[in-house]
Amino acid sequence: MAYHDDLIRHAIFLSDLNLQDEPKQVDLRRAVSAAYYALFHLLTTEAAQNWKNDSQRNRFARMFDHGRMKTCSSKTSSRAIPIDPTEIPIDTDLRLVADSFVKLQQARHTADYDNSKAWSRTQAYEVIAQAEDAMTIWSNIRETELAQDYLFDLMGTR
Amino acid sequence: MYLPRGVAQPTELIKHLNALAPYPPGVVNLRYTIDNDWSGDPAIFFWITLSDDAARLPILSQTSRRLMDFIAQQLDPVGQWGLIPYFNFRSQSEQTKLKEEVFG
Repeated sequence: MAYHDDLIRHAIFLSDLNLQDEPKQVDLRRAVSAAYYALFHLLTTEAAQNWKNDSQRNRFARMFDHGRMKTCSSKTSSRAIPIDPTEIPIDTDLRLVADSFVKLQQARHTADYDNSKAWSRTQAYEVIAQAEDAMTIWSNIRETELAQDYLFDLMGTR
Repeated sequence: MYLPRGVAQPTELIKHLNALAPYPPGVVNLRYTIDNDWSGDPAIFFWITLSDDAARLPILSQTSRRLMDFIAQQLDPVGQWGLIPYFNFRSQSEQTKLKEEVFG
C-alpha cells in the first residue's frame, strides 16, 4: 500500500481510538496531521514521478515547501474559470483538490501547534473525509495537463 | 500595504454574514472569526455546530461540502472580501460537552 494510503488509514485508526469514551486530544490532533500529510505526500510523490532518475525521486519530493504549495493552491482554487468549456470539469475537480490542500494545511497547523483549541471527533472525521475526497478526485484527473501543470507549480516556480 | 475588503469594511462584511441566515438544514449555530491564517494571509474562520443527525459519519462529508459551497456561493469570501475561508464542524452533543466559546 502506498504511503499516502497508509497515512489515511492511520488517521482513521487514531480518530476511532476510545470510540466508546471521550477521544484523547493527542489522537485527534495526530489524526488531523496525518490526513494533511496523506494529501501532501500524494502530491509530492506524484510530482517526483515526473523526475527521470528513479533513484533521486525521494530527494526530489523533499524539495517541496509547505508555504509555496499553499500559495500555489490558493491561486489555483480562486483563479478564473477556463475559457475552453472542455477544461471546466477538470478545472472544477482541480480547484477542489487545491482548496482542500489549503484547508487541510491550516487544520494540520492548528492541530500541531495550537493547544488552545480542543478537537472533537467530528472535526477530525471531517478533515479526514476532505483528504480522502481530494485524493479520490486527484486519481481521476492526475494525468490531465491541468493537473500536471498544478504539480509543477506546487514547487513555487512561478 | 494591501488591506482586504473584509478587513477594511468590517461593518459591510457583517451585514453580508448576517444575510446568510437562514442557514441550510443541519446547522444549529454558525459563528465566525476574522484572523490571519498560519502563513499570515487574511482569513475568515467559520465555527459551525451541526445537529447530531447532520454530523453522522455517513453523511458528514456531504453536509460539510454543502455548507462550504453555500458560503462560497452566497458570500464569495476570497473574491469579494479577500479572505480565505476555513471551516470547523462539530456536533451539537460534542459542543455541549466541550463548551468551546468560539463555537458559541
